[in-house]
Amino acid sequence: MSDTVLQLMNVESAYGPIKAIRGVSLRVRKGEIVTVLGSNGAGKTTILKTISGIIDPRKGSIEFQGADITAKDPAYIVQQGLSHVPEGREVFPLLSVKDNLLMGAYTRKDRDGVARDIETVYGYFPILRERAAQDAGLLSGGQQQMLAISRAIMAAPHLILLDEPSLGLSPKLTKEIFEIVVRINRERGTTILLVEQNANMALNAADHGYVLENGRIVMEDSCERLREKEDIKEFYLGMKDDGVRGERRWKKKKTWR
Amino acid sequence: MQQGLWDLNTFAPKLDVVVPGDTIPAMFWNAVKQRGDNIWMRQKKLGIWRSWSWHQTADAVREIAAGLQAIGFAPSECASILSNTVIEWVLADLAVLSCGGVSNGIYPTDAASQVHYLCEDSRTTVLFVEDDEQLDKALEVRAGLPGLRRVIVFDMEGLRELDDAGVMSLDALRALGRERLGADPQAVERTVTACRPEDLAILVYTSGTTGKPKGAMHSHAGLVYTARGYNTLVAQDDKDERMCFLPLCHIAERMGGEYFAMYTGSILNFVENPETVPENVREIAPTVFTAVPRVWEKFYSGVMIALKEASPLQQAAYRWSIGVGERIAERVLAGQPVGTGLKLKFRLARALALDNARKLIGIHRSRFLVTGAAPISPELVKWYLALGVPMLEVWGMTESCGASTAVPAARIKPGSIGPATSYNEVRVDPATGEILVRGPNVFMGYLNLPEKTAETIDADGWLHTGDVGVMDEDGYFRITDRMKDIIITAGGKNVTPSELENELKFSLYITDAVVIGDRRPYLTVIVMIDQENVEKFAQDNDVPFSNYESLTRAKEVQELIQGEIDRVNAKFARVEQIKKFFLLETQLSAEDEELTPTMKLKRKLVQTKYAERIEAMYR
Repeated sequence: MSDTVLQLMNVESAYGPIKAIRGVSLRVRKGEIVTVLGSNGAGKTTILKTISGIIDPRKGSIEFQGADITAKDPAYIVQQGLSHVPEGREVFPLLSVKDNLLMGAYTRKDRDGVARDIETVYGYFPILRERAAQDAGLLSGGQQQMLAISRAIMAAPHLILLDEPSLGLSPKLTKEIFEIVVRINRERGTTILLVEQNANMALNAADHGYVLENGRIVMEDSCERLREKEDIKEFYLGMKDDGVRGERRWKKKKTWR
Repeated sequence: MQQGLWDLNTFAPKLDVVVPGDTIPAMFWNAVKQRGDNIWMRQKKLGIWRSWSWHQTADAVREIAAGLQAIGFAPSECASILSNTVIEWVLADLAVLSCGGVSNGIYPTDAASQVHYLCEDSRTTVLFVEDDEQLDKALEVRAGLPGLRRVIVFDMEGLRELDDAGVMSLDALRALGRERLGADPQAVERTVTACRPEDLAILVYTSGTTGKPKGAMHSHAGLVYTARGYNTLVAQDDKDERMCFLPLCHIAERMGGEYFAMYTGSILNFVENPETVPENVREIAPTVFTAVPRVWEKFYSGVMIALKEASPLQQAAYRWSIGVGERIAERVLAGQPVGTGLKLKFRLARALALDNARKLIGIHRSRFLVTGAAPISPELVKWYLALGVPMLEVWGMTESCGASTAVPAARIKPGSIGPATSYNEVRVDPATGEILVRGPNVFMGYLNLPEKTAETIDADGWLHTGDVGVMDEDGYFRITDRMKDIIITAGGKNVTPSELENELKFSLYITDAVVIGDRRPYLTVIVMIDQENVEKFAQDNDVPFSNYESLTRAKEVQELIQGEIDRVNAKFARVEQIKKFFLLETQLSAEDEELTPTMKLKRKLVQTKYAERIEAMYR
């Protein structure tokens, strides 16, 4: 389909003999926020790393804006308009905030555009303007996350891969970050593929969701409908009926339907 | 070094290990006297295998039995057990029987409403439940069960706060029992000796593919007789390691596992839970292994998957080795001698690949495998034979207390269920083709259902099994179908669906199938795919899918199943060929109403539930 920005077909990636993702197919449409939910070790990060070229898949293909980017060089993929915000921020601690942002724009030639985008991200995250000259390593965790997202925006991407932005952040900060993520999507039209453990946040922010378990997708639907599924409620949102005794410790079996 | 396939006629029962006793509790207490500190059961707890000697088992059983007496459980009352296959199941069962009570098993996958029905129908006064999950079912329906006096919980984890006069832990019950034994040490011995062989011992509810489940009644005499009978078929002794993992409410594990092991002293190894069976088999490496076809199919496809991932050299080694095994199996099946050259080649084949395949499954120590409870594909039996492990098919039903016919190791005929066992008569009704069984192992009748009992056991004592079959010149029986399942197409052709279904089920990609076509112009089939293997197929062939439903809808998967159906069709006459099919789109588990607890599709239910989609195949 023409409005598909990113399409994964049967992607399989492994770390040595251990298969982390086993035949993942997913599709991200233009202008959407798509989320991949899953518990620890489900393979969420591996999907993103495989898309951005950090890991080469064993099998399957990845198409970005109609062109095949399977196992291409990460730098090339960034130039095609795909930015990756890695898990755990990974800012350059000894560079200033401003330089970090400029690193994000490394592949761009349009200085005016870069200057404009710096202003835009300062607009989203005013704290970064205040700390522009400080070393990024001195920022708090939440601020580093803001910087990492901003750095990705600086490449003027069509698609941002966002890996667990809520990691290690307070609920309040998480909420703020998610609000900005939605704003970036709405205002700039940037498509976002979001990987999250915080299912509640992710399902509220995203349009479409996939559930990943043991390297396989077990469910996909619009987030609205996902929120109503029994398994999602019990296993991802922690909502459950208390049973006859008023407290229920045992878990139902997942059926994914 | 175990025997080769070519000399299997030495399965003689060891008579010095078995125990006397005319009731199940008498047999158990004799076994305790005879075997004392030998190990009877093992169960993995928190990662460590713990053993239960006969003495330890006896202490627990005695305390539980005395505890039951203390809470007023009288002889001939019924106690039900709602639990997975765990050691406490066996303890509770033997305690109930030692009290002279009636023991009934309930599938842990049953819903609360079914628990209600079974407790009501069996007039259960004491209900044993495994844990908080099962307890919740009991509490949900307790109000509607005035006869239910007490619920006993095996595992109290998460229930410390529970304050309910009607519920107590197994430990508390044992404490009550100890108290009673202190005052009256012979309390349990008395009820054990009072128990008569002709008394009702256990209820086994049949899965009930139509209507409500029926409680089949077995007497002590029938059970004891059958346990002794089994030892003439598949002899085992106190050196044998068995795995206890099928539901104990099913006659196969109750009789062939628990009671048969009690009689022979074989060790019962309990799996951790139903999901860990594959790992546990490898750990336990049973020497005698009874399972249902579905388990054997899973093992086979596990080896096939591993093989696909192996290097070309390994694949070649496997192909050559299994080829040698197949040649030997062929000669053995034909009753021809196996030459020395072939025997030597087989040694090499085992070292090269076959032993690894056996270890991968966990059957490397198995003297023989027993399959039953559902039809198995002859191809699959031959594959296990080619690995060098004899697989013996038994046929029977709840009402015949398990095996009524069995394939002897000395003369295996895949596709046949073997001749009648020495302990019962089997014949084909000349008028209807139905297989009939008569013997002391035949059940006493259905609880509360005298008319149904009269329909099932005729005036001459023949049990009408509902299976249609034929007998060959060697006295071997072959099942062709269930009586009520025979399809007569609109064209007037009689078709036996199970023949087609069994062929389909041998496909790696098909778990179960239901053939439809009664009073219809042509045959169609509902297929349940094997998720693991079809997913693997999709991955290998770049078929995109995101979940189970999209997998079943993928064009390539549809073509794959069509291909499997075409392969099967080629073996049948035109009128017997399947014209259309559809795939079940939801992934079913044992909790779903479509499946029996043994994971077979319920024909009638599936036909009504998917009536709309079936109609669509005839438009």
